[in-house]
Amino acid sequence: MREAAVIFLNGVRRDVRGGDAMMMLADWLRGEEGLPGTKVVCAEGDCGACTVLRSFRGSGFDAVNACITTVAQMDGSHLVTVEGLERSGELAPAQEAMMKCHASQCGYCTPGFVMALTAMRERHATPSRTTVANYLTGNLCRCTGYEQILDAGCAMVAPKSHSLAERYRDAASVDVCNQVTSQPLSIVAPSIRFHAPTTLRAALALMASEDGCRVLAGGTDLGVPVNKGAAWAQTLLSLHLIPDLDLVEVGRRRVTVGANATLSCVRRACEGAVPEFARFLNLFASPQIKNTATLAGNVANASPIGDTLPFLFVAGGTLHLARRAPEHGRIERRELSIDQAFSGYRRLALQPGELITHVSFDATRKGETLRLFKVSQRKDLDISAVSAAFAITRVGNRSGEYPVIDGARVAYGGIAATPVRLAQVEDALRGELTPAKVASVASLITHAIAPISDLRGSSAYRRIVAANLFRRFADEVMRG
Amino acid sequence: MTRDTPHESARSHVRGRSEFVDDRPPLRGELLCGLVVSPHARARIVAVDGTGALAIPGVACVLTAADVHHNRWGPIIEDQPLLADGEVHYVGETVAIVAAASRDALVRGVRAVVVEYEALPAILSIDAAVAAASFIGVERTIARGDVEDALARSPRTLQGRLTIDGADHFYLENQAAIAYPCDGPQIEVHSSTQHPTETQHVVAHACGLGARDVVCVARRLGGAFGGKESQASPIAAYAALVTKATGRAARLVLSKDQDMIITGKRNPFQIGWRCGFDDDGMLRVVDAQLHSDGGAYADLSTAIMERALAHCDNAYFVPAMRVRGRVCRTNVHPHTAFRGFGGPKGVAMIESIIEAVADATGRDSLDVRRANCYRPGHDTTHYEQVVENNCLPELFERLEASCEYRARREEIRRANAQRPERARGLSLTAVKFGISFTTRFMNQANALVNVHADGSVQVSTGAVEMGQGVNTRIAALVAEELSIPQESVRVMPTSTEKNANTAPTAASVGTDVNGAAALDAARRIRARMSALAVRLNDLPREQWPSKCAGVGSAPEIEVAAPSADLSYCGIPFAKLAFECIRNRVSICEYGHFRTPGLSFNKLTGRGRAFRYFTQGVACSEVEVDTLTGEVKVRRVDLLMDIGQPINRALDLGQIYGGFVQGMGWVTTEHLVYDSGAKLLSHSPSTYKIPNIQDTPRRFRVDTIDNNGNTANLRGTKATGEPPLLLAISVWTAIRDAVQSVRSLGDGDGASAIVDLPIPATAERVLRALSPDAFWGVEHSGEVPSRHLGKKR
Repeated sequence: MREAAVIFLNGVRRDVRGGDAMMMLADWLRGEEGLPGTKVVCAEGDCGACTVLRSFRGSGFDAVNACITTVAQMDGSHLVTVEGLERSGELAPAQEAMMKCHASQCGYCTPGFVMALTAMRERHATPSRTTVANYLTGNLCRCTGYEQILDAGCAMVAPKSHSLAERYRDAASVDVCNQVTSQPLSIVAPSIRFHAPTTLRAALALMASEDGCRVLAGGTDLGVPVNKGAAWAQTLLSLHLIPDLDLVEVGRRRVTVGANATLSCVRRACEGAVPEFARFLNLFASPQIKNTATLAGNVANASPIGDTLPFLFVAGGTLHLARRAPEHGRIERRELSIDQAFSGYRRLALQPGELITHVSFDATRKGETLRLFKVSQRKDLDISAVSAAFAITRVGNRSGEYPVIDGARVAYGGIAATPVRLAQVEDALRGELTPAKVASVASLITHAIAPISDLRGSSAYRRIVAANLFRRFADEVMRG
Repeated sequence: MTRDTPHESARSHVRGRSEFVDDRPPLRGELLCGLVVSPHARARIVAVDGTGALAIPGVACVLTAADVHHNRWGPIIEDQPLLADGEVHYVGETVAIVAAASRDALVRGVRAVVVEYEALPAILSIDAAVAAASFIGVERTIARGDVEDALARSPRTLQGRLTIDGADHFYLENQAAIAYPCDGPQIEVHSSTQHPTETQHVVAHACGLGARDVVCVARRLGGAFGGKESQASPIAAYAALVTKATGRAARLVLSKDQDMIITGKRNPFQIGWRCGFDDDGMLRVVDAQLHSDGGAYADLSTAIMERALAHCDNAYFVPAMRVRGRVCRTNVHPHTAFRGFGGPKGVAMIESIIEAVADATGRDSLDVRRANCYRPGHDTTHYEQVVENNCLPELFERLEASCEYRARREEIRRANAQRPERARGLSLTAVKFGISFTTRFMNQANALVNVHADGSVQVSTGAVEMGQGVNTRIAALVAEELSIPQESVRVMPTSTEKNANTAPTAASVGTDVNGAAALDAARRIRARMSALAVRLNDLPREQWPSKCAGVGSAPEIEVAAPSADLSYCGIPFAKLAFECIRNRVSICEYGHFRTPGLSFNKLTGRGRAFRYFTQGVACSEVEVDTLTGEVKVRRVDLLMDIGQPINRALDLGQIYGGFVQGMGWVTTEHLVYDSGAKLLSHSPSTYKIPNIQDTPRRFRVDTIDNNGNTANLRGTKATGEPPLLLAISVWTAIRDAVQSVRSLGDGDGASAIVDLPIPATAERVLRALSPDAFWGVEHSGEVPSRHLGKKR
């Protein structure tokens, strides 16, 4: 059993054990490694000042938030911080451009922007302004108003040096990582144990034996309360070394993704199969979060405002569960419809010891219309006040004037303790979609829900918006 | 002189090598500090018990009010305890400081301090404060003319009410300070402060030290925006108290959540106004009563109110005007400076009055603005300062043409009729921002310029670098004055050891006054160096003192009187510096500057309050989603007069940044408190500053060439705050969109004044668009009729 997490930090191997391995990566970089270029502002993954680059299992270097992930979760990764960008005193393209374009004022957010731009640079040689903005959605700046940062993103000149992947993912270190990640990791720190098994069997055995074991699949939501003073669960189980759970399978009818599949992977996979979901994921959190957070994690978190959940409700979402049967110790699998998955506010209807291994959902079929909406205070990188998903199949315009709906699925987030499907609305929608029908269904929605008032919106606002989103969808359908 | 050199720290910023307070490596034995804060808006402190905390291994001390030498501070009125004494007056008020050797021990220690409270009734709103006559300071009034008479004589009148909420500074670097023990009783504190002098003084008073025994250093700030003008000082004092108690270095760095809960915000305002005008929309009179929420303690709120009153005219001549302002004392965090100070509130009021007058008269709001704009013959403010070098008419005229205002107005009218689900709004507003502290004595600065033997130069001033580029500009000014390359000049960390009795870096005047002080010093150094150069020039090289064999006894050149010839006679600067030292000619100098001509009297509300005005105009176009209330800023055209800039690229950075910050203030930045006045939106997951996707889709910034500002050094103009106020055009554009949707309808709402508070959040916009729908849902549970349905 391995007792040290192994990472390559700016090209140098670090073996991190014990309490150090359970530190948040940003704190460890600043406090233990003497690398204060990585800043901590919000400690909740919402500002990007802590952005570092991570390459894991052959992926390119992607931006991640160092403030809400432990060093242990980075086990087997190559990491690059702002201090690792220069080469013999020569600035990297993002650094040069940020300086020349006056894109840095107070300088506190700057390293995070430099890292996010460098991640873009690894994938796009000549990005558009839109691409630049999309890569920087997870970074907040309070000084510049972003204009000069956008200029910088477009002004990066080709580097004379190699890409970061070529520079830091050398064969020797990749070999080490491959070797390391085939061995289970077990870290013992004061009042906490962190396990990263390499097989599903071992993971399920741990879940069966350890009470209160908390599963990490990305874990972007679990690190936040810890930073704000809560304690970790006594036992953490990270799935990142289990290759079986990396699966992303796009079939003709179904898309299946493993518990390790990040939302970035899911977004890319869905571009062809469920384009509306891929588009919607652009508004989900930030690149940094999407590069770490998983679809399974978003489901397991069971939040009423989980942004992927209304989609899963209308797309036949299924959770694939596994556990170690207490009677005979064999792996027992079952499937659970997303409709049955949530038993209350942030509560998942799983049996003890059960793990979500995969999540699957329908690919968009011909003749089906899928629309996903999200309303939040700020358009991007914000938590929804209300989110909505509509999927309908239609049988053409019988009378020639109005579309006729054959089947409808309607789900909302942010209007109850869990995301909900509105069956009565679905029933009411079947048949001809006339303006009168739209009005009556909208009214039905307003009456069917009783959302709470909180800082993201009053109950009345949510009820009105929920109905209005349906109106918008209906309007689109009626216009064809 | 305009050289667009990068910010002096740009290279170290992009490399992640710029040092901020919390980046300083820990000293051996250094302690981490944490704060025990009040969970109550108002309560009596029955008991504070730190024994449990002290029992935790690693906890070094627990300090309470009894450990503070002088437990009162305040930038204007000394009314705030550093550590709560007997009573707490807001959620987040500091009751005790805990210091520990490790983070873990600190977290446990802070939790282990037991404070027993007895909750007391609290005042949680402006209305409640007014009802209870709970005020800070006296009422201030600026008035011209007989308002009541003018209202009676006006052909038309309107009245309205405007609610403006607070806003968080959201500087990226949270409040931070480290105190180091030095020789004897001395303490050196490194603080993220905009006001090192005040921080030095507050630390000294708290610790019972003379100012001589406290040095405050501020190398750079990770953003401040006013939030570190007064409120950095207690943080530094807390760290220093721990150092004094333990003899060890002490570090206090707030988390974002704690920072947002503890520190004050932009003051919320409630404004009631009446105005009179004629059928053409010419303003005759404005009468307004402003109430601000000052929070629990005075902080800077009274000065903020003064600036609000002085900006109620903005760009417009109002013959009769009376503005009265009162600061309310409530039980929330003490509110404080924020970019623009009171200015944005006064400007938002008059700009919304203009919109209302335009709606009432049927004239385009731009026509109303241009008609009422300060112009020759109508160029005296309500406090009787003449608007000199007035560029406003030119700015209006040029932007109206360059942004194609008229054509777009027509296009938007057509588009809104066709597609009311996405209502567009257009508005062009102005800013005339007064540059100077309204408190006269603060308009001074000093600077130390040291030329070294190698000809390189160190400049120290009281200005604090917080991203705005003040150090870069000062380096450029000094380099130009001494005729040397800018790279030869280094602006040093701000320290009270070098520059004492300074004003905060605030009110946009950082470069104006500190740059002028540095120029004062550099000018005198130059005179002496030139005088020596003239004398040296007359001597053969070998007779120069440094060339003589027995240097000590070589004849020395006297330069008693500076020469009229200010060239260096072709002698390289470094060589001349060296010769000055050999000839015992000082090439170090201290400069001082005081802004001339200021005569504003706060009691009478009369006089020259400002050295000059920075002016600008902006035209914003927004698109409002009438089904959700969400707003998108489609296009912004902005035109400013920034005089003759020292570094235009840095000024543009201030303009872009200030505007977007203002956009956040008027749209998405919403502070939400629970019923007990605890802030709920205390981190970026709940408090939404603009993101890169929120910037205007099309954003064009331009400046005019203005040689006429003789009031400021080199004909420059300050740019720090004014651009923020131009974002009010985004708010008035949203208002315009709402109004255009209402005018499509035939309900009662069509003619009423649009009631849209700041910030215009999505929910508030939707409420303004469809008050009936909200009424239906909130009152009778009736089905809301689709607000656009009537037209379909």
